[in-house]
Amino acid sequence: MTEEIRTSSEDETAAAGERLAASLNPGDVVLLYGDLGAGKTAFVRGLARGLGAPPEDVSSPTFTIVQEYHGRATLYHVDLYRLEPAEVDDLGLDELVCGDGIVAIEWAERWRGRPDDVIEVALESIDDEQRLIRISDGKA
Amino acid sequence: MNLLAIETSCDETAAAVIAETGDSARPWALRSNIVASQVAIHREWGGVVPELASRQHVRDICGVVEAALSAADMTLDDAGALAVTQGPGLVGSLLVGVAFAKALAWSRGLPVVPVHHLAGHIESLTLAHGELPLPAAVLVVSGGHTSLYLVPAPGEYRLIGRTRDDAAGEAYDKVAKLLGLGYPGGPAIDRMAREGNDRAVDFPVARLTHADRNRPRATADGLLPPDVARRLDFSFSGLKTAVLRLVRERTGGVAAGKAAASDASGVTLPPGDVADICASFQRVVVDALLDRTFEAAGWLGARSIGIAGGVSANSRLRAEADARGRRHLIPVFVPPLALSTDNAAMIGAAGLRRLRSRGPGPLDFNAEAGLTL
Repeated sequence: MTEEIRTSSEDETAAAGERLAASLNPGDVVLLYGDLGAGKTAFVRGLARGLGAPPEDVSSPTFTIVQEYHGRATLYHVDLYRLEPAEVDDLGLDELVCGDGIVAIEWAERWRGRPDDVIEVALESIDDEQRLIRISDGKA
Repeated sequence: MNLLAIETSCDETAAAVIAETGDSARPWALRSNIVASQVAIHREWGGVVPELASRQHVRDICGVVEAALSAADMTLDDAGALAVTQGPGLVGSLLVGVAFAKALAWSRGLPVVPVHHLAGHIESLTLAHGELPLPAAVLVVSGGHTSLYLVPAPGEYRLIGRTRDDAAGEAYDKVAKLLGLGYPGGPAIDRMAREGNDRAVDFPVARLTHADRNRPRATADGLLPPDVARRLDFSFSGLKTAVLRLVRERTGGVAAGKAAASDASGVTLPPGDVADICASFQRVVVDALLDRTFEAAGWLGARSIGIAGGVSANSRLRAEADARGRRHLIPVFVPPLALSTDNAAMIGAAGLRRLRSRGPGPLDFNAEAGLTL
């Protein structure tokens, strides 16, 4: 099932993430797609808030690659922006997604071995402020 | 006493030896500072590759430690303690240093001190310049971090502001990639910016709240009230997106998107335009960093300002910080280049500080990717 949401500010994009968080369970994987500035990190900030983790802890993991936030479940915030697909293979993401946390991965297209039973979130810039967010859970 | 320090939190395998001087104004002396720089490896990939980095740490750590001891003209027998970066960072990379330091400490019967990476950056200032006049407002600004600390007393670090999205150094790297300038982005943009007009493009300045003309009162413990603390946060994502939008407009659409989504930097803007964009971008970043830092210093009655981390090497940031410091009659301290990028000497300084104030910790500490200070 695919849901489409239009947002007109960064806060609304975060709020969409917060709503999705309500339906997430430990072990769930959220793959995020979208260009620079599309709102991926803002969406993850909403996920964190929805999971009861401090949203102000959320920042871009581009350099750090993996960040952890602690709420009712641990949220692992991953960013593959800097990595080549061959390096992603060696990163140990399989172990992370098989654990008890919830994993949100930015630039997920760089992970060749990404699993199927995931929630996919595609963010697209319409203009300076507006974003089109498509959330699909991989089920018909 | 000599302390051997090890740092492997991200892409640099580093070891250093720091000695105590007995002089309380300038407590530590640098005896050696070795970094097995991996920039040559990373440039090929346009960034830090973590698995490559952790393998490289394993390969390099023995040689780097031996080089640090030999550059200090000593052997392990002359080391009285060890310090190692515990976090934050990539757990695979951190583990190499932590496991190495613990094993060495155990086998030699030496104390080992776990150190927070950002405490290291803050103490790089004291290592280079002696004890700062306190309280000090210290900005740590690098590829992975943009955090503002108040240092009210030696060894006390209070977080008073941080980035809500991208770190300043990350914004530099992403913008450099958009403009086809390569990695690392900071020096490349800094160089181009010298040829450009810093008012050519009116990039947005992240204003997180309205300007408040009233000087807020510092709370009794020296921390800012929560509403003010939010105002001291940084945001660089909007600026990055504005550069992306501009590059798209000027290249007719797709080029910048492709450059952002892959390692192929296919943007062709006239060099004059690139220089103007770099200069304008750099002006906005530097103003944002220094506005918050000097505001905090004023509000909290800081007697000095420190700027540490890799971005502190930026020429405009240094020049503007000096000029503002002279105007506000507050001394500004910046570490030399070798102590600004990731290094083990700063970890040694923070380790000695902690060893003398809190003693060595137990050996059962672990690498912590999300360690807070």
